[in-house]
Amino acid sequence: MATANKNASRKQFTFLLVAIGIVGAAALGYVATRPKGGGEAIDPNMPLGTAQGFVMGSPDAPVKIVEFADFECPACGQFATLTEPDVRARLIKTGQVQYTFYVFPLPMHKNTWPASNAAYCAGEQGKFWEMHDRLFYTQDLWNTLATSSPDKKMKGYAADLALDMGKFDACYDSKRNYPNIKASGAEAEQRGIDETPSFIIGGKKYSGSQPYDKIKQLVDEELAKLGKADPAKKGAK
Amino acid sequence: MIIATLALVGLYVAMYLWLYKIGIVGSLSCKIGSCEKVNTSPWAVLFGVPVAFWGVLYYIALFSSACLCTLERFAADRRAALLLVVTTGWGVLFSGWLTYLELAIIHAVCMYCVISAILVVIMFALSVLELRVTRTTAG
Repeated sequence: MATANKNASRKQFTFLLVAIGIVGAAALGYVATRPKGGGEAIDPNMPLGTAQGFVMGSPDAPVKIVEFADFECPACGQFATLTEPDVRARLIKTGQVQYTFYVFPLPMHKNTWPASNAAYCAGEQGKFWEMHDRLFYTQDLWNTLATSSPDKKMKGYAADLALDMGKFDACYDSKRNYPNIKASGAEAEQRGIDETPSFIIGGKKYSGSQPYDKIKQLVDEELAKLGKADPAKKGAK
Repeated sequence: MIIATLALVGLYVAMYLWLYKIGIVGSLSCKIGSCEKVNTSPWAVLFGVPVAFWGVLYYIALFSSACLCTLERFAADRRAALLLVVTTGWGVLFSGWLTYLELAIIHAVCMYCVISAILVVIMFALSVLELRVTRTTAG
């Protein structure tokens, strides 16, 4: 009787393991083989173009902030939508900070290249920041989980921003900015950036999405070093 | 048997993170926490190999040990039960270290790492119970 029970129990155990094995393998197989967006292989031998930072704010601003970000990275999206509006309104528009944005496409984000391409092409028509904002605010609509072919979304955003679609399409489809995007990523690696978003403020690197208060504190420290008072001291924080 | 089942679940969790790390899975489906932040941080690599891959090796070893322990010839063997306690205990220590890194250094929590940590704690508790039962039976 005991042996019969043991055998039944062993059979159930084997059945359970096989069931979990099949379900697990199927789930992994699905996530590994589903379309991964972009559909384009990035040529590892692509030549490096020019690393171009996109600048916002006065060139005379005493403090410089450099951001390295990936358009598909969720933490970058969080920073761009929750913190960056305050940085722009309170630090950049008040003339304290000049802000430079470098694209740093991470290999696991398959749709970040089309998104970066769209931002560069919008930049050719003077609307980099508008596309930057649109991409981050709608990240969940075009990222790898949402779509395997983001081109239509990108062109839709360009149309929404009233870009010259003939020029945008020519730029986007030719992928002529890909070497520059690659160079931007190389610039990040050269500066020791290993996480997105990362910031360089006052020559020091800060990894991860930073809260506004932290950025404000670092900017104030830089201003103090330069002997310049915060002009917006009254209501900046 | 339960330990082997949980180890198999853990193996799939580790494999998912590893496939993400080597670029086969595009994005992590992460409803809770910041999986990407944790898995793209410098702490996600140990001795030049993704931590997730170490996890895959660990769970394969644990699954194999647990399956061996279900065999009748090892059922009352205290050494087999002790092996499971040591293996799962190591998993608890390693998971504790990873959780410390997440909370204190990276300042982000990965849902899958939490699932793995919970699994090893349960497996450790079960293997300790198993060892006590084996000791009682042997005594």
